[in-house]
Amino acid sequence: MNPRTRHALEFVLDNLVWFMLVFVLVVFSISIPNYFQLGIFANIIEASSVLGVMSIGLALVIITGHMDLSVESVAALGAMAVGILFCSAGIGLGVQLDPEWLMVPVSLFIALAVGGIIGVINGYLVVKVKMSAFIITLASYIWVRGLVLVISGGRSAQDLAPAIRWFGIQRLLGLPLTAWIAIACFVVFSLIMAKTPFGRHLVMIGGNETATFRAGIRVNRNLVIAFVLAGAIAGLAGWVLAIRTSGATANLGVGLLFNAFAAVVIGGVSLKGGVGTLPGVYAGVLLLSAINTAINLMGLPANFTQVIHGLLVLAAVLLDAFKQTIRQRLA
Amino acid sequence: MSEPLLVLDNVAKNYGAIEALKGISFSIGKGEVVALLGDNGAGKSTLVKIIAGGLEPTSGRMLFEGKEFLAKSPAEAKAAGIETVYQDLSLCTNVDVVANFFMGREITKKFLGVPVLDEPAMEQVVEKALASAGTRIPSLRTNVEHLSGGQRQAIELNRFVHFGGKLVLLDEPFAALGVEQTRRGLDMIRQVASQGIGVVIITHIMQQAFQVADRIVVIRQGVVAGDVARNKTSPDAVINMITGETLVGAGPAG
Repeated sequence: MNPRTRHALEFVLDNLVWFMLVFVLVVFSISIPNYFQLGIFANIIEASSVLGVMSIGLALVIITGHMDLSVESVAALGAMAVGILFCSAGIGLGVQLDPEWLMVPVSLFIALAVGGIIGVINGYLVVKVKMSAFIITLASYIWVRGLVLVISGGRSAQDLAPAIRWFGIQRLLGLPLTAWIAIACFVVFSLIMAKTPFGRHLVMIGGNETATFRAGIRVNRNLVIAFVLAGAIAGLAGWVLAIRTSGATANLGVGLLFNAFAAVVIGGVSLKGGVGTLPGVYAGVLLLSAINTAINLMGLPANFTQVIHGLLVLAAVLLDAFKQTIRQRLA
Repeated sequence: MSEPLLVLDNVAKNYGAIEALKGISFSIGKGEVVALLGDNGAGKSTLVKIIAGGLEPTSGRMLFEGKEFLAKSPAEAKAAGIETVYQDLSLCTNVDVVANFFMGREITKKFLGVPVLDEPAMEQVVEKALASAGTRIPSLRTNVEHLSGGQRQAIELNRFVHFGGKLVLLDEPFAALGVEQTRRGLDMIRQVASQGIGVVIITHIMQQAFQVADRIVVIRQGVVAGDVARNKTSPDAVINMITGETLVGAGPAG
């Protein structure tokens, strides 16, 4: 095999999800009437903003070889905290700040802090008490959702303050600002993972924790930071979710966790840790969203979505194994 | 003997009721190569981990460059100038050669105040280090999982030669190497020692110990069973020390 074909093949393997995304979009555009419109594509990006933000945090923790099942509940808690404070109907307290725009940074800070605190708890328990991240974050998944139910009393908050809601309405190049937030997050965290020592260390910890510890990398500190980031990012996802729904309900975002998992796995992140990139995860998120849109347009019952997502995850895992065999041949 | 670099004074380690190390005392001088020999389970690897900061001793003390020394983590030991090559390889196979070479010590440049990996600079250093050691790896950007055992060990060995420090601990460094690579590895050790760096090498192969070491320290059942200059002993005498048939040549540190 000459170096050029080898290079090309490696490039395709590294970016396989993107090729799948393009392939799926082309097939849908040809086979489904009305699919090929700018508005539809904008909608695909817009609809994936909450899932996209949440998947970043989940992917970070999985790449370090751990797990965070709590992201969905944390997002709900972040959304509920913002909803209760800044909604004017339902259980909303309708807090007003002067000037109005001050509500944006304050609500954002609250969502990030709520998520960050739960991230600290998760991280501390995983690192110091040395319990399995799966169990600890499963517990958080349950108790944080419980907390949402408790503080809301099972009721909902509506009519989010217009100053915050502005992010969901104001458009730039055809996309609402919430979608740009998701894109910006992907760009920033992709750069962090690929270009900074911190990102490099996370990947290496996921590959061989003992080796990184022996090499003098502060593994525990890095792990806690990863969990805090995952929590804070989930909080941000909650903030975006509150804006998109203009409030918060007690069962907000239920089921998002499994979509996030699907996106992360489809995006090429290995659950064993150490493998995967964030641009791939974004492609996974967009792929799921593109398929949802297709199902809507074809008028299939929404119940099919779950079946298709499940099959997609299976396909992604099979594809991953296939990629591995090809890579071994290449080496 | 040259000025002592590291002195171990009655270092002991218990795991519950089991005494892995009963009290080890010896010293390593600057530029000296000490071969640490002993049967399986004698406590060699435990000792290396204690010096390298991976384990804390139960009792005893260490002096490094004349000062009281106890590394609570590998990071502290590294900061003090102690490099370690472990028996089971310490590489992250999911990243490339360059990333492994610089693990935890990446070269960065500031971009808007944020440290950013300087890949070209790192690649250059690795290329030079591997070339001067005669190690051939097709692409420095290949993930280590695709490399052979010998290539992997070469990365680790070149890493310690490059970063040097003051003391190097090698725990069975040649287990996966071929004849030619082992010879080169031994040369590397002498070369490192000639720069005034102390070297402790654990090995099972008597021939290697006699080829490279200035002094041979034998550990048996958690105590020093022998501490002799290489030119004053013979492989047979050392084997007797390892198996415990004789204590001739045994003596305290120094």
